[in-house]
Amino acid sequence: MRILLTYIFVLLLLPAAGCTDFVEPNQLAFVMGTAIDYAGDGSIEVNFQIVIPSQMSGPFKGGSSGDSDNFVVLSAVGRDIFEASQKIQKKTSRRLMTNHRIVIAISEEFFNKNDVSKLFDKLGRDPANNLRDVIILVKGSKAKDFLMLKHPMEHLSSIAAGKELLINDMKSFSSREFILDSVSEGTRPLVPVMQIEKIRLSGNKTKQIAVVSGFAVLNKKLKVQDILDNSEGSAAAWMAGKGSADGITIPWKDGSGTLSFRLTHPERRIRSVRGNDPKHLILTVKAQAYLLENKTPLDMYNVEDVVEVQKYMNEQIQKELQQTMDRVRQRGSDVFGFGEYLHRKHPYWWKSQKNDWDETFKETDVMVKADILLRSVGASGSQLK
Amino acid sequence: MTSINRSIEANEAYIKERFQQCSDVVFRSFALKDETLLFIVYLDGMVRLQTVEENVLKPLIFIGLPQGLDRMQSLVETFRRKWLPLTNIRTDESLEDLVNHILQGGLAILVDGEDSALIAQIQDFETRSIQEPRKESTMRGSKEGFVENIRTNTSLLRRRIVHPDLKMESYKIGTYTQTEVVLAYMKGIADEKVLSEVREKLSKIALDGVIDSAYIEEWLENNSFSIFSQIQNTERPDIVTASLLEGKVTLLTDGTPFALLLPVTFWSGLQSADDYFERFVFVMLTRMVRYLMTFISFAFPALYVALSTFHPEMIPSYLMVGIATARENSPFPTVIEVFIMMVIFDGLQEAGVHLPNQLGPIVSIIGALVIGQAAVEAGIISTPIIIVISLTGVAAYTIPRYSASLPFRLIRYFLTFISGFLGFVGFAYGLIFLLIHLVMLESFGTPYLSPIAPFDGKRIRDLFIRYPFWIKNGRNKKRGQR
Repeated sequence: MRILLTYIFVLLLLPAAGCTDFVEPNQLAFVMGTAIDYAGDGSIEVNFQIVIPSQMSGPFKGGSSGDSDNFVVLSAVGRDIFEASQKIQKKTSRRLMTNHRIVIAISEEFFNKNDVSKLFDKLGRDPANNLRDVIILVKGSKAKDFLMLKHPMEHLSSIAAGKELLINDMKSFSSREFILDSVSEGTRPLVPVMQIEKIRLSGNKTKQIAVVSGFAVLNKKLKVQDILDNSEGSAAAWMAGKGSADGITIPWKDGSGTLSFRLTHPERRIRSVRGNDPKHLILTVKAQAYLLENKTPLDMYNVEDVVEVQKYMNEQIQKELQQTMDRVRQRGSDVFGFGEYLHRKHPYWWKSQKNDWDETFKETDVMVKADILLRSVGASGSQLK
Repeated sequence: MTSINRSIEANEAYIKERFQQCSDVVFRSFALKDETLLFIVYLDGMVRLQTVEENVLKPLIFIGLPQGLDRMQSLVETFRRKWLPLTNIRTDESLEDLVNHILQGGLAILVDGEDSALIAQIQDFETRSIQEPRKESTMRGSKEGFVENIRTNTSLLRRRIVHPDLKMESYKIGTYTQTEVVLAYMKGIADEKVLSEVREKLSKIALDGVIDSAYIEEWLENNSFSIFSQIQNTERPDIVTASLLEGKVTLLTDGTPFALLLPVTFWSGLQSADDYFERFVFVMLTRMVRYLMTFISFAFPALYVALSTFHPEMIPSYLMVGIATARENSPFPTVIEVFIMMVIFDGLQEAGVHLPNQLGPIVSIIGALVIGQAAVEAGIISTPIIIVISLTGVAAYTIPRYSASLPFRLIRYFLTFISGFLGFVGFAYGLIFLLIHLVMLESFGTPYLSPIAPFDGKRIRDLFIRYPFWIKNGRNKKRGQR
């Protein structure tokens, strides 16, 4: 009994001594998106997109907010992210919480004029970052403008961007991946690019909306080397082992119609050829193809045609991938991770080469081989007459 | 001890004095044909009146003793052996015993000039008939429940276990109530150490009255200050039968349908009789759900408080924004709000138990309207907390036995409190504290958390999965040895 009472009193003593530091949800400002812009002479402009909970139509509250905004964008300029964030904190009534962030948008200008690698120190160091947020590059405008956009379907542009990337099978571009790529010596980061476009929604209403428009290839110093468009970008992502599913349309041999496939289960493998020559590499891509549209006179119930289609599709894809590969290779930015492969395969050779890998990569001979299996030809043979 | 006097007047005076101001006692004096004085006493409403009149009074008064006989050595002995057609009849030599037996529903017959008296056990009183136990109903299985009459209860057990090894030791407990308590066990299966411990404790009980088996329960428990009960109670004879065969010991108490079972473990409170009646594959699912719900019933409010006020980063983003939206205008901190709701919920529950049946719906209407709607619309209580507390409350009812769910209702407050100011750390401290207590606890020599701690690989089979009966599990081991 005495022991029990002792326990109870000790327990009661704790809150009496004020040993508590809980923070109510209405004392928190949930940062859903961050935008980073260049602010001149080495300083950073940080913008936080913060939800206004009272304007949200959350799962526990019916009724939509109507016309009023359900987010604010607060910005401040500072020498680093923390300083700018502190300035933003002074402007808000609630504690900023970045753990739930979905998107970090960085303007192209910032990438080119600043040393971005220093920016990401805070991302990796501060445990409050969940590292699951996506890093995107905003092309053609300030990143702040991207945050300011109102999306016609989603509550916030950050949520929209996150979902857009997810739906288009770009799951492997979190800030964790980005940091891993940027610190490893044998891989260069590949960053999704978004662009603000005007879209006609209905009738005369037009709206600005952010759309995915390819990938940016960064170099070792995280400067933008090249921006690939959507189809080249997805080819590069596939070869970098980051793609997950894709669609492809190829014209048939004599120009008589096209064939469209959905590609699933993408894989890739790197091999070196000619014994141990690190300068000759073979990249094999694998996938399963499902024929979805056939505008050619081919009859898919005919086995020879199916074999022919598979062969031709492989050739075409191989050709396209090789083009992308050559384009990226000429820029000397190894987004595919060949360096990492060579690091493991030829550690001693790599030691001498790693400092100017970008230059060496330009001269490396990479051959792309496609090994795609035509899984299904669909429910009908030839075109319906 | 007062022995019976040869003078009937003295005996009559003594009995009448003992039963002074007892309006339900019937005294009747009459004489045989040879003018021998007789005096009978019984309690009105406790004996079969018809038997008294037809089998005792009628032959004695109308016919009298057979003609041609001289006065015998002992009239009492003659009555007992030759004259009264009753089964349970005996002689008493002491007036104290006689009074006790009258109180239990006996008919006392005193004869002038004899130093012993006849007592005929012809008690007959109104009892409840056997009904289905309401608090422990099952989908399948026996619909019989224990009743208040201990003889009915022992017969319910005897009918299920047809074996002389089922022993029933009788004890009288309570200075005034003289309640009969029967210690039932299977000889050879039950642990002798447990038996002797129970016997010793039963003999030490000093109570004025035993109103319910709960009175005995607290005298038997080793650790009375624990929130976990170390003795199980049940109204179901089939559960008692199964437990007896497992080697447990049962105490039946007169006047209550609740039998006590011991020793028990933490897990026996979470198992239902239905687990053994339904198909075993399905039982796996229900058991898992029940264990999960049990966890929810004591941990969910604490987890909610810890997560939403200490570790909001651990809640998925959209959900957290949703919670924040709902809690935007809440006047109280989350932990206070949760406490308010828990008290209100327990209050409603308590009101529901005590309300007369006809008024029951009123509580549900007021509860649903006032708390479910008005409080949320007024902004006093936020919606997520209502969800948390109602789920918690419902989860507690998945525990099959009411008394087994009580400790979890207490732990809920304790964990919420400690999580409210220490977050997950506090929650972990609370659980550790609880586990230390549970590991230390014993029920009559059986560790409370067994077969998990200490680990018993064979018996653990019955914990999560109920194996088909033909697979011998730990429960059947003892039966196999015999």
